[in-house]
Amino acid sequence: MKNLIIALVASTFSFAAMADGHAEWWKKAGAPYAGTVLQGVAENTPPGQFAGEVLAKEFEALTGIKVQLENTSWDSMYDKAIKDMEANSGIYDFVYIEQDIVYDYLNRDFLVNITQGLANNPDLQAPGVSLDDFTTFIDYFKDGSGDVFGVPMEAFIKVYLYRKDLFEAADAKAAFRAQYGYGLTPATSFDQYRDNAEFFTHYCADNGMECWGTTVQGHTGHPASTYEFLESIGPSFGLYNWGVNMDNYHSCVEDGGQLNGGRAKAALNFWTQLLPFAPPEALQSTWSEVGASFAAGRAAQGWVYGENAAWIATDAEKSAVVGNVGVMLPPTAPGVMTQAASGNGYIGYFDGGAYGIPHSSKNIEATMLWLQYVALNDHQADWAIAGGRITHKDTYADPKVLAVDEQADGYFSLMRDTGFLYAGAPPFPFHGAGRGAIDPFIYSALAGEMTPEEALDGACKALDQVMSDLGYQG
Amino acid sequence: MFSNNRTGWLLLSPTIIILLIMGLVPFFYVLYVGFFKWNPLAVDPSMQFEGFGFNYRRLIFDEVFLASIWRSIKFSVVTLFFELGLGFILALSLLSSFPLKSFFRGVHTLPLVIAPIVVGSIFKLFTVQGLGPLPHLLKDYFGYTLNYGLNADQAFWMIVIMDIWHWTPFVTLTLLAGLSALPQDPYESAKIDGANNFQIFIYITIPMMVPVLIVVIFIRLMDSLKIVDEVWMLTGGGPGYATRFTGIHIWKEVFEKRFYGLGSAMSILYLYITIVICWLLYSVMVSRGKNED
Repeated sequence: MKNLIIALVASTFSFAAMADGHAEWWKKAGAPYAGTVLQGVAENTPPGQFAGEVLAKEFEALTGIKVQLENTSWDSMYDKAIKDMEANSGIYDFVYIEQDIVYDYLNRDFLVNITQGLANNPDLQAPGVSLDDFTTFIDYFKDGSGDVFGVPMEAFIKVYLYRKDLFEAADAKAAFRAQYGYGLTPATSFDQYRDNAEFFTHYCADNGMECWGTTVQGHTGHPASTYEFLESIGPSFGLYNWGVNMDNYHSCVEDGGQLNGGRAKAALNFWTQLLPFAPPEALQSTWSEVGASFAAGRAAQGWVYGENAAWIATDAEKSAVVGNVGVMLPPTAPGVMTQAASGNGYIGYFDGGAYGIPHSSKNIEATMLWLQYVALNDHQADWAIAGGRITHKDTYADPKVLAVDEQADGYFSLMRDTGFLYAGAPPFPFHGAGRGAIDPFIYSALAGEMTPEEALDGACKALDQVMSDLGYQG
Repeated sequence: MFSNNRTGWLLLSPTIIILLIMGLVPFFYVLYVGFFKWNPLAVDPSMQFEGFGFNYRRLIFDEVFLASIWRSIKFSVVTLFFELGLGFILALSLLSSFPLKSFFRGVHTLPLVIAPIVVGSIFKLFTVQGLGPLPHLLKDYFGYTLNYGLNADQAFWMIVIMDIWHWTPFVTLTLLAGLSALPQDPYESAKIDGANNFQIFIYITIPMMVPVLIVVIFIRLMDSLKIVDEVWMLTGGGPGYATRFTGIHIWKEVFEKRFYGLGSAMSILYLYITIVICWLLYSVMVSRGKNED
């Protein structure tokens, strides 16, 4: 909240500065659409709140076009957006496109080609807006010919967070060395991660603290757990693209896939064995609860989505661990870092999303203006501070961002310097169907109803069945 | 005569039109889609007709779907048993006078006015491990670990308890209305003949309440067979498949996996099974009622 208020004030100044420059153009461009109300739906994240509460108001003041952004839960957002686009009802003028769903939307021709739209309407092209200003994250929202279908509004990497105060406590260091025979440091290997988790679970209990050794995003009835396994834990063990062989769309080892291969099984074993060292709420935790648990000081370390990293580290109104948050790359199996650096693998999930325009929108031209406003360089730094996201290359060097970066133990620098080691979701048009087939097996492994080996053997067969049913296996 | 009929049809027409648009058209559309192989995420996203029995044949051998039906039936029978039992006891209690009766009746009815999704949220906040008060209390005072994210039986019974909490007031109020309307003559005759309270309940109250019971059982049975919202909020259908009732299963197949044809066939088949169960129950209850007459 504090960040949002600061950003509101700061953005007022930058808005004024921007208005000095191109205000006339925006007024003129918006005049034909003044009074129009643009409806949008997005996930309720800190960046989404900034867009709805700050940028939308500025845009309305400048152009007379009102933007009503409905920030809602992840499930509800997809439900509303997809039903609207399927039915072609035109309720929403712009929708949030998470990186992992973009291939589905493009495959189903839901979205307006923004590049083409602007080329066809030169009068709508805003001064000071260039798609070249974006980081490479915008590439996820391009089609084969390089045309853009979504304007990125948030991008994060999923990092390893740890509690500096716990890791630096002298008694903890001594006890750890006595118990494990080596020094207590943030984890760079899976064995060390497990030792840390085990140690802090007992350390917290012995010292009367409500904390545990690690987070686990292990909801046994929500896709968040499957995502943590497929997009974070799996890749750090060298399981890429969900273990799907991209040449023949098979995921079982006997057909050339990797979903039930050695790396996948090692990853799932590692992950499920962390449960005794995770807070009791772990099996009902999605990404939001993991962020909240860490912010409440209930975990010593964990994989945490970047959208939460900045506020956990800096917002004292919401986080009990401000000033004590360390940020690092997560541990990886031998060889994974090399593969990621050479572009043949990745160490985790490059998360984020964009605003796109459905074909069903009744106000496509006015929405083009709004998306360009979102893309302006002027407010990117304030947006980064409010929401912990960066989509423009220059934002990293902004003094305001650098100051927050220091508070957040270099989270933004880490994203800038190591973002290339991460990757978005694989380009599967069948993303939802495939993940839905895997879900129950991950849930069962987490609940102990199946061994990790049984779960992955079952998951790969279920995924193969879906890919076969949908015609991807030829 | 004709004029009277025309007026009647005219007055009925809004209802008929709404029924057609909101009820029959969607039903026939779902029936129609159920004959197609259709998933917009497929290489060929168009609707493909593969024979009338294509999806239905597949469902007959779909273990997950069949298990979800069995789970839903088990859930409905269990909740119905407890809701009827508790509802009857509460309705009988409310017939007599006791202090703060009006207050109790008002408070007891409150869950009825809460939306199912909110009921799910309330139970989640109350029972979630680590944060909810119930797991703490159970652990501290009884040494019992409540973690329905891990334990399939706990998840199932937590949903049962939630449904009982939510819907028993409905059963109570309906039965109370029925009990209040019963004629007093048979009771007076029974007392004169020396029947005790238990005999009066079994041989007079229950038989006379059969029509009300049939209504309550049908409404609750049909409602509990299609439970979704509360489960969605509390467990999401997990852990594993433990609380994946048919409604949740259909939702996941249609809206997560986008198997529109298969999901439609599931809906039609489940509707058919629900009708068969209700018809069987109705036949049994009516025939028993006749035998007792």
